[in-house]
Amino acid sequence: MYHRLNKSRLAPALWFTSLVTLVIIVGLPMIAIILFAVFPKINELSLTAPFSLLIPNLTDPRLSGAIANSLMLSASVTAVAALTALPLSLLRARMSKRQGQFWDVCFLIPFLIPPYIGSLAWMQLLQRNGFIEQLFGFHAGAMLYSFTGITLVMALNLFPLIYFSASRSLMVIGSRYGDIARVCGANPLSTFFRIDLPLVLPALVSSGLIVFILTIEEFGTPEILGRRFGFEVMVTAVHDKFTNWPVDLAGASVLCCVLILLAFLAYRGQQMIVAVYQTQVDANGFATAEPSTSVLLRLSTVGVFALVAIIAVALPLASVTASAFMDTMSGGLDRDNFSLRNMQTVFAPGSDAINAILTSLSLAIAAALLTALIGFLVAFTLVRLPSRGTAMLDFLSILPNSIPGMAVAVGLILTWNLPFWPVTPYNTLLILLLAYLCLMLPYPIRMLTTALRQLPTSLDHAAYVAGANEITVIRRILAPLLAPVAFAAGFIVFAISTRELVTSLMLSPPGVETVATFVFRQFDQGSMNVGMAMSLLTILLSAVVIGAGQRLAGRTFR
Amino acid sequence: MKTVIVATTLALGLLSQAAFADTLVVYSAGPKPLAMGLAKEFEAKTGIKVDMFQSTAGKIMARYQAEKANPQVDVMISAAWGDAITLDQAGELAAYASPESANVPAFLKTPTYVAQGAAALTMVYNTKSKMPAPTSWADLTKPEYRDQVTMPDPASSGSALTLMQGLVTKNGDAAWDLFAKLNANGMLVAGANAAALNPVLQGERSVVFGAVDYIAMGQKAKGESIEVIYPTDGTVLAPRPIMILKSSKRQDAAKQFVDFVMSDAGQKLVANVLLLPGRTDIPAKRPGFSELSIIEFDEVAGAANAAADKAKFATIMAK
Repeated sequence: MYHRLNKSRLAPALWFTSLVTLVIIVGLPMIAIILFAVFPKINELSLTAPFSLLIPNLTDPRLSGAIANSLMLSASVTAVAALTALPLSLLRARMSKRQGQFWDVCFLIPFLIPPYIGSLAWMQLLQRNGFIEQLFGFHAGAMLYSFTGITLVMALNLFPLIYFSASRSLMVIGSRYGDIARVCGANPLSTFFRIDLPLVLPALVSSGLIVFILTIEEFGTPEILGRRFGFEVMVTAVHDKFTNWPVDLAGASVLCCVLILLAFLAYRGQQMIVAVYQTQVDANGFATAEPSTSVLLRLSTVGVFALVAIIAVALPLASVTASAFMDTMSGGLDRDNFSLRNMQTVFAPGSDAINAILTSLSLAIAAALLTALIGFLVAFTLVRLPSRGTAMLDFLSILPNSIPGMAVAVGLILTWNLPFWPVTPYNTLLILLLAYLCLMLPYPIRMLTTALRQLPTSLDHAAYVAGANEITVIRRILAPLLAPVAFAAGFIVFAISTRELVTSLMLSPPGVETVATFVFRQFDQGSMNVGMAMSLLTILLSAVVIGAGQRLAGRTFR
Repeated sequence: MKTVIVATTLALGLLSQAAFADTLVVYSAGPKPLAMGLAKEFEAKTGIKVDMFQSTAGKIMARYQAEKANPQVDVMISAAWGDAITLDQAGELAAYASPESANVPAFLKTPTYVAQGAAALTMVYNTKSKMPAPTSWADLTKPEYRDQVTMPDPASSGSALTLMQGLVTKNGDAAWDLFAKLNANGMLVAGANAAALNPVLQGERSVVFGAVDYIAMGQKAKGESIEVIYPTDGTVLAPRPIMILKSSKRQDAAKQFVDFVMSDAGQKLVANVLLLPGRTDIPAKRPGFSELSIIEFDEVAGAANAAADKAKFATIMAK
């Protein structure tokens, strides 16, 4: 590899492109936020009073409690999500293709349900006089508004990230090692602990890192559920400073730097674990596992998947659906209270709903394609062309996940509203695309680097020996092999983009509405049930787009 | 690759030029139909195009602050009087006394900002709950309302802050005592206005202490089983300031916009969303100035005490 790197003219060019792309999309807004923390008047282009806000903000007694709560919540959510996802991934690797695809689509749905909608759905189900109590006469409000409740709601929303990453990784690994172990007399338990677990660990840890950091960054659920029992985390503290009167953007930026630091520590931890378990499967390994033929195993597999799907998918979706068709909230689950009125309001002439859906769908598709492309480029650079600065590039790629969307939005305004740019995406739709790219890039980069690390370099070397250059290797060898991962990443980006709320609220150019801002306005000052109707439509529409996309991907790459 | 770059640059250029056209930029807090209606009718009347960014009071302030290197906005309509006080004290507002504002009560106008409209703070009561309807704030400390009351958090909701400070100004320590008793009675203080109203609409709780009245009236008009109750011991107004930024390069158009919002036509649009119009001579479509028992207090002094009052409130509620 090193000989190759020294001779190649393309390698520096790829490096340069990756770096510039990441710096423009991710680096600039992050630098802006860090500068804002140091220079509280930088929004007026003044460097007065440097560092004056650091001490007052960092010594705020609320801060240490919020940091402790954030870390505790993130650790628990990551643990619960991993424990849910790991058995599912193992079972998924032994499924027939068709069955596997069905469950994959099913577990994408939690992503399509925005966290704030999911939390409201759970509230409507479990609270006093909620849907469950109206139907079955009991409620679980006390459990919901507690640390356990908030952990479960968030883990149910995020476990698919680990599931997709781990199950893809297990498919790349294949079942040969396990089969060999069994032939040598290993029992299933030791096969799992000695073969499968170490091999899947890099994927588990790196997607676990994303879940950890996403939980630290998550705003909707702590805001809706946590406030009910006085549970303050970093992001709600930051958000208060960003939007509660009197607005204190610089103080919020200081807190964001603390979040960046936390993310950095988590990132280093992940790197240390991965370094120990770095694995490469040999080139013959990717034959996927044979679908299992044991009837008992297949039945219990279906049982486990169905149970998780009912809790994580069906219940919240049913709650959203019920709300979407209820005339009034106070009317409850009463036959007379159900109608199509909310849907009619959504589609009424003069309603922005259809434009909002079109805007969100096009932004999400653009974001999915571009992040997959950029993610591929960056992953290749990181893994196959390592050089000094790789770690920096790698950390840069996960940064946006560590700070609240509100901070990304402010960073983007600070960056792109400067008077000296000849042209700027600010105040156009492009700023939203830029925001989505910044927020979503970590997913494809994480997923693709993990997968690429496990692909052997022998194929690349063979190609180089045969005279291919990097572009050819990417196009002819790596792209086809990694396409399933890239598609999975693209779908996640698509799903999250369709419902991105906080940056959309801050950055939408005047008059532009996305699905999430439409829903938010309904919740804020309109009708919650109309908001739920709109959410339901978007969830279904996105599921259709993803389903169609998967079919297309399946046809093209298999 | 080259063609992609060229095309992107071109697209960028075209899009950004469209955004730089000479239009009046207005940031407004909700409700959206009002913001859009004002923009549309103003355009029709004057031919001046309006770029309307509508969001929450907090978000428009955040956007304004973040944009200071290159200010975009000409006129702001906030839902929080405190925003106007802050900006005025920082010297960021342009003075303008619109001739249309003559009939706005003196306590709702200053040289730099004026109330476009106002909401009143009320109790909102779910009529399906089996509680007696309350009549005064103090009623909610009674045992029958145990665990049945919600209140928007003064830390997140400007209007709840106004209510808290108004009651404290009027009643002094008795008001703090009221909050302590409400807390002892299991009152839920969570989030902004919607977070306090929704549990009552859904029947998880029965009464909101300090709901924004026009939003609740809008819900009632949609068929929700709620009643809006003005407490007998008086309430406060949450006025909505409209202001012109000093940094605006379109001062003339900005003044025309303020004139329009305060004109008969503009004030009727305000009345249509069930807000109390700023001008007393425009009929309200809801209880008007004469029907409300309003607690007036010095909001500028209140703004200076806000941090201390919020902290004291939080301490009482944490007990």
